[in-house]
Amino acid sequence: MSIAVVTDSTSDLSPELAEKHGITVVPLNVHIEDDTFLDGVTISSDEMYRRLPDQKVIPQTSAPSVGTYIETYEKLAETHDEIISVHLSSKLSLTHNSAVNAVAELGPNGPRIEVLDSLQASMALGYSAIRAAEAIADGSSLDETVAMTKSTIERAEAIFMVDTLDYLVRGGRIGKAKGFVGSILKVRPILAIQDGIAHPLERARNRKKGITRLKALVAERAPLEKLSVLYTTDKDDAEAIAAEVASYVPNGELHVAQLGPVVGNYVGPGLLGACLVRAESS
Amino acid sequence: MQDSTTKIASGTSSRLTDMIRATTKAVEANRDTINALNVFPVPDGDTGTNMLLTLRSIVEDLPANSTESANNVSKTLARSALLGARGNSGLILAQYFKGLAEAIGDATELTGKHLARSIRIASDNSYKALPNPVEGTMLTVYRECAEVAEASAARNDSLISVLEDVAAESLASVRRTPELLPVLKEAEVVDSGGFGFAVMLDGALRALCGEQPVGRILDVPMPEGKTFSGSVKADFVDASEEIDWGYCTVFAIQADNLDLDKIRDHMDRIGRSPIVDGTEDIAKVHVHMENPGEALTAGISYGQLSNIEIANMDDQAADWAADRREDDRPISETPAATPVDIAVVAVVAGDGLTDLIISTGMGTASIVEGGDTMNPSVSDLLAAVEAAPSDQVILLPNNKNVVPAAKEVPGLSSKDVRVISTRSVQTGVAALLEFNATQSLDDNESAMNEVLGEIGDGRVCLASRDVTVHGHEIRKGMAFATFNDDIVAVGQEPLLVLDKLITKHAADAEIITVYTRETLTPEQVSTATETLENKFSDIEIEVVYGGQPHYEYLIAVE
Repeated sequence: MSIAVVTDSTSDLSPELAEKHGITVVPLNVHIEDDTFLDGVTISSDEMYRRLPDQKVIPQTSAPSVGTYIETYEKLAETHDEIISVHLSSKLSLTHNSAVNAVAELGPNGPRIEVLDSLQASMALGYSAIRAAEAIADGSSLDETVAMTKSTIERAEAIFMVDTLDYLVRGGRIGKAKGFVGSILKVRPILAIQDGIAHPLERARNRKKGITRLKALVAERAPLEKLSVLYTTDKDDAEAIAAEVASYVPNGELHVAQLGPVVGNYVGPGLLGACLVRAESS
Repeated sequence: MQDSTTKIASGTSSRLTDMIRATTKAVEANRDTINALNVFPVPDGDTGTNMLLTLRSIVEDLPANSTESANNVSKTLARSALLGARGNSGLILAQYFKGLAEAIGDATELTGKHLARSIRIASDNSYKALPNPVEGTMLTVYRECAEVAEASAARNDSLISVLEDVAAESLASVRRTPELLPVLKEAEVVDSGGFGFAVMLDGALRALCGEQPVGRILDVPMPEGKTFSGSVKADFVDASEEIDWGYCTVFAIQADNLDLDKIRDHMDRIGRSPIVDGTEDIAKVHVHMENPGEALTAGISYGQLSNIEIANMDDQAADWAADRREDDRPISETPAATPVDIAVVAVVAGDGLTDLIISTGMGTASIVEGGDTMNPSVSDLLAAVEAAPSDQVILLPNNKNVVPAAKEVPGLSSKDVRVISTRSVQTGVAALLEFNATQSLDDNESAMNEVLGEIGDGRVCLASRDVTVHGHEIRKGMAFATFNDDIVAVGQEPLLVLDKLITKHAADAEIITVYTRETLTPEQVSTATETLENKFSDIEIEVVYGGQPHYEYLIAVE
């Protein structure tokens, strides 16, 4: 009896990580003018960030269709008995909802599928999918896997600094952070995804001070079980940060991840951040 | 002088109310002189005005019925003095009335001992009320007067004899202030607030002795061999209810080969606070005049006039005063009506800075207009705090002279009020950037306090008179820069002085924010931005329109 793990492209799992853990990644869609791209498949992150600053064409995004999920689940059902499917925060996207609807469409005769709302994005979602895969590899049942994945979801958080809130505002994905938009001064807002929505944490007077604060925010959350440093366009900055925060995770094992096109559409170029899972308190 | 045993027929309370009314008249008559003494180092000559407005609010609350006993009169004194206290000097003045109330206690008659006790309390409280008490100020005058008053009252408890001795000592004490505070000596003035107190005692004594008018113009007690050069307007003796601001007159002169210095001198002769800036082809003139026509006539003798703007500052001042008196709420640009978890109340002058604070406050901030020359009173601040849409309020005084008044607010308000001692609007903005509506009031308070030490604040302004400070000879109209209150650069051209100021701090700066004055044109702002960005390419420099009065530039160094 085997269990498959499904997540979506906003998890920012690299192809290597996805393959290593045997995770199936369902892509969201990016619409630019009349063209539709598959998130991270037919449009790369770099291409997306190159296009983003063009204010005339605002890219749109959409959740995977119910049909896409049905196809994915049916295909996996050929080789697996059960499926756990973990997705982008339901408060930010219909991606989770689409998966739930696909399961309903498949009906009671299909495989048993547990759909989980990660209430997170990027590697803060990715780590929940990895946790599920690890649990399954350890021989856990689906129920046990769901419980362990939920525990990871509770401890996962994405923290990020954006160059500007413009992208969050124009995409409407901002929650309480809306009131945070302000200052005539060029400030760098630092936000966190908490309870599924982007919430303001702090404002830094410039990028350098913001990076210092990001590192401090990561340190405040230690000890950590998982950690990745996140970027959209500035890999060098991300790697420099990674070198300094590696001590907060066991064996210094952390990832440097590029935010994918869909979520990137709402935060813009210049983002730096961290996705983490706090250690279980003993 | 009348016999010290003279009893005034109508009883003690009218003696007390008459004396307080007389002190107000006396300060009215000498307000310009008191203001003129308070010129160092930036042109915020407002001690006299602050004292007068504080006294007026006390007088307004006095019982109309002059047969009330002293203890009944004194009951309202402490609170109304504190609520009306405006600026540092007003607050120190309020300590005297608090002292008077405490000293009188249940007594129905005001005695010499009460007077001595009240000055002693005022002295002790004032030294405690200020973070860094400085000698050679109103504090010294209080303290020395208290000593003389106590000795005098021990000899003879008669109110008149104690008041006579104290009034004489106050003048002598003021005369000595330049010996204690070198900056007064350099500026060739004596302490303005101390002189204001001497003026009050003079008025009180004249009322007690039945002399008229109670408010007479007093000579400034200068040290031996010195005379006070400040001009006192003769017509000020019958000080009107309204503050005499005149017209703020702004226009441009276009011609070939304009001599800016000559125009500046001309404007200075006929008006007040002139600012003349520009090039050989075009000059921008800003001057305060009783008769704006005179300024235009003068201007037209140099070339063609354009962009003429005349604002009646009397109206502005009257509106402002009326708003305050009505007391519904202080001038609040954007009443933050929607309830918020934590509200912010900030003192700001200037439209650009107001917008900046509002935007940075994220829907939680309301504004009390004020700053260097218009210190809001405790009651202004209290009203804004009470009107703020939360029971948790963070108060940003944004001016070191407003900090003491702000610190009185938590004790008077029914709300949980935290005062962040922002000494300037620049530190206020930095503190507000730390504000996070989703955090607790305690967390916000400590985060905001923490940043205060990380910000250096500087300013560039034009000297309102010739002055020598810390060895810098600054002539009227010259630009000078201060950083954390030390004078660091002097020059003719404000932008060059700003350049020098930034150069001095470039090494330890990461970000410098420059706020520009209301009189600066967008072209001047962009010139400033370009000049600075080119020169200081290693630092992030952000130039923002501040619209503040008085200061050509305000800077924050972080």
